[in-house]
Amino acid sequence: MIKVKNLSFSYKQNPQVLSDIQLEFDQRSTAIIGQNGAGKTTFVKLLKGLLKPNAGQIVVKGQVIKEQTAAELSRTIGLVFQNPNDQIFKRSVLEEVMFGPLNIKMEKSEAKEKAIEALRLVGLEHQLDINPHDLSLSEKKLLCIASVIAMDTDIIIFDEPTIAQDSNGKEKIRRIIRTLKEKGKLVMTIIHDMDFVAENFERTIVFNQGRVLADGPTREVFSQKQELLRAKVEPPYITQLADKLGIPGTILTIDEFIAKYHSVK
Amino acid sequence: MNKIVVEGLKYKYPLSETLALDNISFSVKEGEFIGIIGRNSAGKSTLCQAIVGLVPHFYKGAYGGKVLVDGLEVKTHSIADISLKAGMVFQNPFTQVTGSKMTVYEEIAFGLENIGVPRTEMINRIDEVLHLFKIEHVKDHNPFDLSGGQMQRMAIASIIAMKPEIILLDEPTSQLDPGGSEEVFQAVQSLKNQGITILMAEHKMEKVAQYCDKVLLLESGKVVDYDTPEVVFSRNDLDVFGVTAPVYTKVCQALGVKKKGADTYPVTLKEAEAALKEMRR
Amino acid sequence: MKSISLYVNRNSFVHDVDPITKLIYIAFAILVPIIVPSFTISFICVGISLVLLAFAKVLRKTVPVFSFVFLVLITVVIIQGLFKPENETVLFQLGPITMYQEGLLFALTITLRVLTIVSAFMILVLTTKPSELVESLVRKGMSPSIGYMIVSVFQIIPEMMAAVSTITDAQRARGMETEGSFFVRFKAFLPLMGPVVLGALINTKERAMALEVRGFNSQVQKTYLYEEKTYAYSRLIRALLLLAIAGALVWRILS
Repeated sequence: MIKVKNLSFSYKQNPQVLSDIQLEFDQRSTAIIGQNGAGKTTFVKLLKGLLKPNAGQIVVKGQVIKEQTAAELSRTIGLVFQNPNDQIFKRSVLEEVMFGPLNIKMEKSEAKEKAIEALRLVGLEHQLDINPHDLSLSEKKLLCIASVIAMDTDIIIFDEPTIAQDSNGKEKIRRIIRTLKEKGKLVMTIIHDMDFVAENFERTIVFNQGRVLADGPTREVFSQKQELLRAKVEPPYITQLADKLGIPGTILTIDEFIAKYHSVK
Repeated sequence: MNKIVVEGLKYKYPLSETLALDNISFSVKEGEFIGIIGRNSAGKSTLCQAIVGLVPHFYKGAYGGKVLVDGLEVKTHSIADISLKAGMVFQNPFTQVTGSKMTVYEEIAFGLENIGVPRTEMINRIDEVLHLFKIEHVKDHNPFDLSGGQMQRMAIASIIAMKPEIILLDEPTSQLDPGGSEEVFQAVQSLKNQGITILMAEHKMEKVAQYCDKVLLLESGKVVDYDTPEVVFSRNDLDVFGVTAPVYTKVCQALGVKKKGADTYPVTLKEAEAALKEMRR
Repeated sequence: MKSISLYVNRNSFVHDVDPITKLIYIAFAILVPIIVPSFTISFICVGISLVLLAFAKVLRKTVPVFSFVFLVLITVVIIQGLFKPENETVLFQLGPITMYQEGLLFALTITLRVLTIVSAFMILVLTTKPSELVESLVRKGMSPSIGYMIVSVFQIIPEMMAAVSTITDAQRARGMETEGSFFVRFKAFLPLMGPVVLGALINTKERAMALEVRGFNSQVQKTYLYEEKTYAYSRLIRALLLLAIAGALVWRILS
């Protein structure tokens, strides 16, 4: 769905934030991990057309994105930012979620339909008339997710969706990602919670100092101990425990652990 | 000796209908490290703020019961007085920067200037905390130019320089990357080694289990449990309170592996490793 | 992080002079030409300021400010020279345009006034850290809260600008066109204000709490990290400046 060729970027005269990135994205749900400052957010901003590359090319669904504005791209790529307070513009939950669909010239009735569907997915369908700012922070984050889902783009990018979520909130996000995947959408997420990555993403990309350090099926990436160490990424807790016990292979979930633990014993 | 005593604390924010803190009682001994857990809006932040006096002095609202911080009653003392006993570090590293100082060095001095620490001692204290939290190399940088982890360590350093005997940390790592959180946890560990009493609200249960002596579980402003991490995380009704046990505890629970000679499950990597190896033999 | 302060860090005796003395100099440079309305005095004042700026090695930094000021002043000269009601004496004629002496002299007075003020202020602004200025005022008895407000603006405005660019990105990400004609930009501007103001309010509340727990409202006598800046000849300079102002007043009353 997305092809990235020789992509490089720097802010004005500063040192390069991204250098020579080559990536291709298919439908697999993808986690982007790495330290802050590794270039993750810059990379998704480039995909979304919010920044323009210094060199290289990004092709989204066969189209080079250089000529399109970010607003035009929003029919294809949705991006949920980290801080909800930066991205709430309307006075009611329903209006807020309809804002995006109406901007991309969706019919009003269709926009409303999509908005309600998206709100149902995040569990806010009973709060249509509430002022978004009266929601709790974790609900606001879910609202922002719904606002982007309602635009029904083929590609959806989340920036740190699990921050400030308790275990119920995380469970909701897990369900949302699964549902989007079932609908055939490409879900891409910048995230720091490694156990969440291990359980929910098919593919993992490790960024380090503006380069792709590792890329592949999540299990494969979490078995590359040297690379993870270099990127200062701690493997999932469950993987660490399995390693300590000498369970072969790379364990990603509690269920896998339990199954393997018995077979090894 | 009890450093903090909370007795029947009730509190309602102005304009709110419900109690944010509902009859809370507990006490903390000198040098203990307490983890405060619970779902979002269970009252964790409010409780932290009630100990440093932001509740009720900053917010106003309805207040009942008693909070004693090192013998000082919070209700009858100003936040500035309490700040000499108990300091607080907040979630967002950006909004804790005063914005009135040009360098990290000056930023740390801010609190010391306010409480009237003489110059020579001020300089000694600043140098000490810069070293303790490993931020000497950025002492002349603008505070806003630091990374999240550095900024949060600067915030802790600014509080510790005021030499409180108690420190409260409200989800200090929720907005940091794994490297940054680890830096902060290690900084907090070094405070424990100095005998400072610590209370920390936190969602990362593996970290709570690893560092805390006791865990305070809150739900709708009430105390559900206050015990060792092993006891609290071995409960089988945690999901009712919007909390999950550390991964290590979940695995051991599923396998029915308890700590050797105890009725509780392991809560840290080390304990889980030991217990699971023991089972295999 | 960009700061909106214009302070230029150089080594010079002008930088070493304490902020209060610089404030007195500003008073001198503004008051004396008003009290003694002579072109010579005004020229001397501007001259002193320029020499001081040169000593401070910041003369080049004044170019953009002076260019802006000149742009404004030229329009004043033209308008007054051509249209001032008191205009009688024709100075010269260029086709249909007639320039009068009265207007031109009046414009020249204004120009000199503005230049004395701007150049004197520039000495303060370019060679003094805002925090240093405020700190010396707080020592002189200004409320620390007001002092804090003034200094924090220099850092918090750039922070707000950064917030504006994040919010604009969020608008564009949701399909709102923010690039293009004036109308498009204007339409995008209004919804921007909500999150900017809200974000500022939330930050202000959080920051206020963070200040409180660092003893901001402590009743204890405040101390300072830095010793008060004192310049060896401060007293002499201040005395001379005040004497000059007093002298000008005496001259005015007597004549």
